[in-house]
Amino acid sequence: MYAVEVQSLTKIYTSSFGKKKVQALTDLNLNVPPGIIYGLLGPNGAGKTTLIKILLGIVFPVYGTAKILNEDISNYKIKNKLGFLPENHKYPPYLTGESVLKYFGRLNGMSGKALDNKTDELLSLVKLIKWKKNKVKTYSKGMMQRLGLAQALINDPELIFLDEPTDGVDPIGRKEIRDILIDLKNSSKTIFLNSHLLSEVELITDRVGILNKGKLIREGTVQELTEKKEEFIISFSSELNEEILNEFKSKYNLVRASNGSLNVKVADLNELNNLIDLFRNRGLLLREVMPQKSSLEEMFISLITESDKQNSQ
Amino acid sequence: MKNILILSWFTLKEALERKVFIFFMIISAIVILGLVIIASLISTDSLVQGVSVTTQKNFVMNVATTLQFIIISPLSSLCLLLAIFSSASFVPNMLEKGNIDLLLSKPVSRSQLLWGKYFGGILVVLINIAFLIVGVWLIISLKFSYWNFNILTVIIIITFTFAVLYAMIVFFGVLTQSSILGMMVAYLIFLVLSPLLHFFKNNMDSFIHSSFVKGIISFLYYVVPKTTELLGDLTKSLASGKGINDYQPVWTSALFLLLMMYLSTLAFRKKDF
Repeated sequence: MYAVEVQSLTKIYTSSFGKKKVQALTDLNLNVPPGIIYGLLGPNGAGKTTLIKILLGIVFPVYGTAKILNEDISNYKIKNKLGFLPENHKYPPYLTGESVLKYFGRLNGMSGKALDNKTDELLSLVKLIKWKKNKVKTYSKGMMQRLGLAQALINDPELIFLDEPTDGVDPIGRKEIRDILIDLKNSSKTIFLNSHLLSEVELITDRVGILNKGKLIREGTVQELTEKKEEFIISFSSELNEEILNEFKSKYNLVRASNGSLNVKVADLNELNNLIDLFRNRGLLLREVMPQKSSLEEMFISLITESDKQNSQ
Repeated sequence: MKNILILSWFTLKEALERKVFIFFMIISAIVILGLVIIASLISTDSLVQGVSVTTQKNFVMNVATTLQFIIISPLSSLCLLLAIFSSASFVPNMLEKGNIDLLLSKPVSRSQLLWGKYFGGILVVLINIAFLIVGVWLIISLKFSYWNFNILTVIIIITFTFAVLYAMIVFFGVLTQSSILGMMVAYLIFLVLSPLLHFFKNNMDSFIHSSFVKGIISFLYYVVPKTTELLGDLTKSLASGKGINDYQPVWTSALFLLLMMYLSTLAFRKKDF
């Protein structure tokens, strides 16, 4: 069973008089296993928020099916097991931090002591307990975001959708939110995360999907996505002399040489092993052979650029 | 049902916070206070002077009922105007981006959300109207020692009239996500259309000779909510304990209410946010 199952999901937004049509999602297929942090990345307008909104029944697809925790998304009662922090969320300004949580807790069927305890527990978790009696209209952006996270967790959900959860939060606050998300994952919750902050996604997600113009163009673990295939870093304990380096350059594809290490491109693993044999035959002591990785940001930019080029052709 | 109650309760809180509720209450309190002062200045004994002892009781009853009606009748129209103004934004506020996303992500059906807001708006008006009418009734009843419980039915009639117009405000609120159009149409019906149609319906033969125009007026008369009849003859008849002679304004207005809420629910259930 997947936490989220999406099949052939298509969404077209049509303007009031049907003159203008925007294809937000195109034949999207996506599966999110339970108990992981799944990061959905994409440039603005890629369809990330639309996907979450469809899954939560806020907008309707024109085609395709989707299931959440093995239930069709049309069944609104499944939302009892979901948490959601929307981008630019807005609470009634007359409510206090505490009453926001109680309001949404009650809509989730909670009441009495259990709701009181959960409210205090979550306000402590997001460090808002001191401001629980203050009206939300006096809260800063960061405080609102933390309150939003608490609100998303009020019903102890199995699956949590977070749309830009660290937006407007300072670096320390971000670290705290990351820690909360990791704790949630460790307690078997599934987290579906939309974010622009690639460095953050890289730090906490188990799987990443990249969406561009409504299409899923790449998916995998962060390691799979950032690994540059056939490029390795070989580090040596002994000194590399000019003669060996020249011999090597003539036979292999050297990307870069620096301080006792070489970046090389090889055709396959056989070639890599031949290369290692060559160094060992020359009496060089190898310290490490590592696949070369790019940052998630580098990979993201190159992938989106490539995808845009293909679309324009 | 529980969700509808929660949403209604929070709509009441919203009204309280937006000072609308308090403003209503202050106006009602001023009216009640004014009435207390006037009542303290009038002597019941001087009022019945010259009236024979056998008809004194009937005379006092008539004076009390007329007085109640004279006070309540214009106030009910004022209350309705204020109620429309104060409640028109409840649904558009709920539909604001960031707020509706959160509500729709909860295990609450779209119909429950809409009906919760609808009943919340009615609850706000019901409490305010009840406060005013009960206050006026209590003072006059104490003054004349005549307890006309029939006058309290006015609370139901005014609330019902508001509920009919509010259903239409909800409908326009869902369609346009704005309170302006709904509010304008509600005022148009209450202040212009309903009184005009009521007049033409009763005096059609004197003014209109074309059967086609007569047909259109009759059609509009039955379609448009009958706020003039509801707050006029019907209220007077109920307040004086005569009951309802003609149920037509009630059931045609009730049908309008149901149609508006049905269409609102239908539109809301299919809308993307």
